[in-house]
Amino acid sequence: MVIDYQDPPARRVTFDEWDDLFARIPDELIEQFHYFPPNQEPWSKYLFPPQTFAIYGARHLRRLKFDNSLAALRLWGFVQNEGERLFRARQIRRKVVAVMGDLGPLAVIVNSFPGCVAFYPDCWWWTPFAMESKVLLNKAEELGMGEASCFSRAALGAFAKHSYFPDPDLVIAATGASCDDYSAVESLVAGRYSDVLWVETPRRPVNEDEADRFEQLLVAEYQQVLKALADLTGTEMTEALLSDGIRRANRIRQATEQLKTLAYQDGVLPALEMMVVEFGCLHYYSDLTEWTGVVEHLLQTAQKRKERGERVVPEDALRLGWITPPADPLLLTYVEDRGARLVSTEYVINQALVLIEETLPPLRAIARSLLAASLIGSSRSRLAGFLREAVEREAEGVVVSGLLGGSHCAMESRLIADYIKSRLSIPVLEFDVAPPNKAIDRQTRTRIDAFLELLRSRR
Amino acid sequence: MSELLTPRERFGLLVIDEVQDRVPIFPLLTSHAAVVTGVRLRDYYTNGEVLARCQLQAREFYQTDFISIFSEVGIVAEALGSEFVYPEDDLPVLSSPRWTELERAVPECGAEIKLGGRVKVYLDAINYAWEACADIVPVLAYVPAPFTTAQQLVEPESFLLGLLEKPEMVKVLLDYSTRAVQEFCRLLIRAGALPIIVDPLASGSVLSPEQYREFALPGEREIIKFLHRYDLDVVLHICGDTSGIVTLLPETGADLVSVDLVDLGMVIKTIGQEVRVIGNFHTSDLWLSNPEDIYERVVAMVKQGKNCPRGYVAATGCEVPLATPVANLRAFVAGAREASGYQFPILRQRE
Repeated sequence: MVIDYQDPPARRVTFDEWDDLFARIPDELIEQFHYFPPNQEPWSKYLFPPQTFAIYGARHLRRLKFDNSLAALRLWGFVQNEGERLFRARQIRRKVVAVMGDLGPLAVIVNSFPGCVAFYPDCWWWTPFAMESKVLLNKAEELGMGEASCFSRAALGAFAKHSYFPDPDLVIAATGASCDDYSAVESLVAGRYSDVLWVETPRRPVNEDEADRFEQLLVAEYQQVLKALADLTGTEMTEALLSDGIRRANRIRQATEQLKTLAYQDGVLPALEMMVVEFGCLHYYSDLTEWTGVVEHLLQTAQKRKERGERVVPEDALRLGWITPPADPLLLTYVEDRGARLVSTEYVINQALVLIEETLPPLRAIARSLLAASLIGSSRSRLAGFLREAVEREAEGVVVSGLLGGSHCAMESRLIADYIKSRLSIPVLEFDVAPPNKAIDRQTRTRIDAFLELLRSRR
Repeated sequence: MSELLTPRERFGLLVIDEVQDRVPIFPLLTSHAAVVTGVRLRDYYTNGEVLARCQLQAREFYQTDFISIFSEVGIVAEALGSEFVYPEDDLPVLSSPRWTELERAVPECGAEIKLGGRVKVYLDAINYAWEACADIVPVLAYVPAPFTTAQQLVEPESFLLGLLEKPEMVKVLLDYSTRAVQEFCRLLIRAGALPIIVDPLASGSVLSPEQYREFALPGEREIIKFLHRYDLDVVLHICGDTSGIVTLLPETGADLVSVDLVDLGMVIKTIGQEVRVIGNFHTSDLWLSNPEDIYERVVAMVKQGKNCPRGYVAATGCEVPLATPVANLRAFVAGAREASGYQFPILRQRE
């Protein structure tokens, strides 16, 4: 069916402007997009504007600016109803599996099992910011994780509430070389809310011998995961199924890489949507098939814009690198409003972005992808890809946004800042993101403003 | 004692067919909020910030699960030009409809919709409440349905006679009213409220089932369809005796149906597989009875209601009367709470 809708000229729009655009969208188009395809149940529609989600509590949406393409609307609608999607998954008898801590590889394994839906509760750390709410953080504090730990403690609150995602059929948690704060979340979940299948994660290898041993260790751990999932689903995993799972994950990772180039080099998509895309590589917002469609729709939009010479951020905007996810998405809107654009990012999810080698035995390939992880090795190894892109795209400055209370951030942010200064000889701004609020605190705004002014003066 | 779920979380589970920790509690606590907080009614319905503050305080005081932005059902008619007087200690009263008769209305019904009146009061109230608590409590804004609105745009006698003698003219007016209500909804959505459609003048005390199907239902359905474009879960409230039209209510598309003077068991049995049911403690009893009786009867009501297959909200049948004693409404909430618990957490499988 051909539906008459054309994107307006590319630009970032406000919350209210999106509602004006939504009024132009034909009903038939809204009907076209459903999650869990080929399911066509009315509850699975998702092409809805930010207003819908603001009414249901996502207050921060009102302060953000969005890309004005249909593909971006699709992206936001899809991402915002993920909690409901997980409940619906259970209602239609899919197995819902929580994977924790490794941010990428375990989801590839789980999603290879037919009828399984993997999700990272870790990602509920966005919720307090999206809702401008302390509900989940307060709940975590009641359970022993207060403000001296990372915002990822919101995941503990979400487990305790039983209302942000369904109680999982299985919880698999990576431990060992991983985030300290999140290890605490995992431990408390294990003690109170679920049995947990632990997966030992080694640190990043420093030589080939270690690499081989660590891969073997991980393969043995993943074999336990396969067994648990086989028990849960009644399906024995085959190499063919796993290989197919890897191909599907790689399809998204490839599209994401292309989008990163188009957005960060050619300025055809805003930083906010791109961050959402990058994080989509973790668990595909709980629906791999439909997320593939969303990302490829965005890719088509980005390619068309490039062909037409359309940009959403000016070419002469200040070129920034950004390290560690900003937690508060308003920060990305803010820097673009102030005349900057992102050209390179490192959101601690390297392991979800690298292509998984399709010529290796599947579990070995997944293990190797994990060993590229951001948080299991030195800061220098974490930053290798970032630096390459920052140099290629002539970054003029770098922002390192630490997480207030995040144990690794307190030490690592300074190390990263020093290392970048020594390698790139460009200014670095380092700050901790404040807890959820309606606006960016004045001190942070002032520091960002001053930093951008400094970069401008260096031109 | 603090509860596991916030009202927002509880309502979120209800509308996706999941079990909650307990039934949401929703006495239609509207202008009584002004009385209980000691604010003059005229200040309440002419100042959005005052309205919102009263609602926030009253919700906190009674520990209910929703914020209700509402004063009376004339808001859209007034916004279109009908005149209301504002008594100091009572709700607005229609003094002069925009048109004296249907014949005068019809030629002007093609005009562009421009909403004035106290719409801004509503929007200010929503905005204030939303900023204050929308992460924790759903903010509802009551929307008079097209039929109820139309009836306040023309002299009532002309309108009611028109139903019998000039139905085509009434329908022209209803189309106009529907466009206006839709525009009103658009503003509420932008402000952050979940619209709840109220159609008191479509009650069985006013319309026969046939008339309801012909004149009121199409407008309700049109507005609900518009709200479904946004994927909103829509409440439809009709006051009075709706026993003759219960089977028609799902045809509106409403996701939750709020009923008044009708047997709750019959409603649940008839439509409880299709919609969530809200109801329906008798408001006169809430006002005039004593706390002990209220408590016991609410317990019985909730025990019956919570078995509704699609879900249930413990509510009054209509607005909490202005003069309701505090102890009575507290007894309502306490009784509802006593009986409202579900086994939680537990997951239901979709059939």
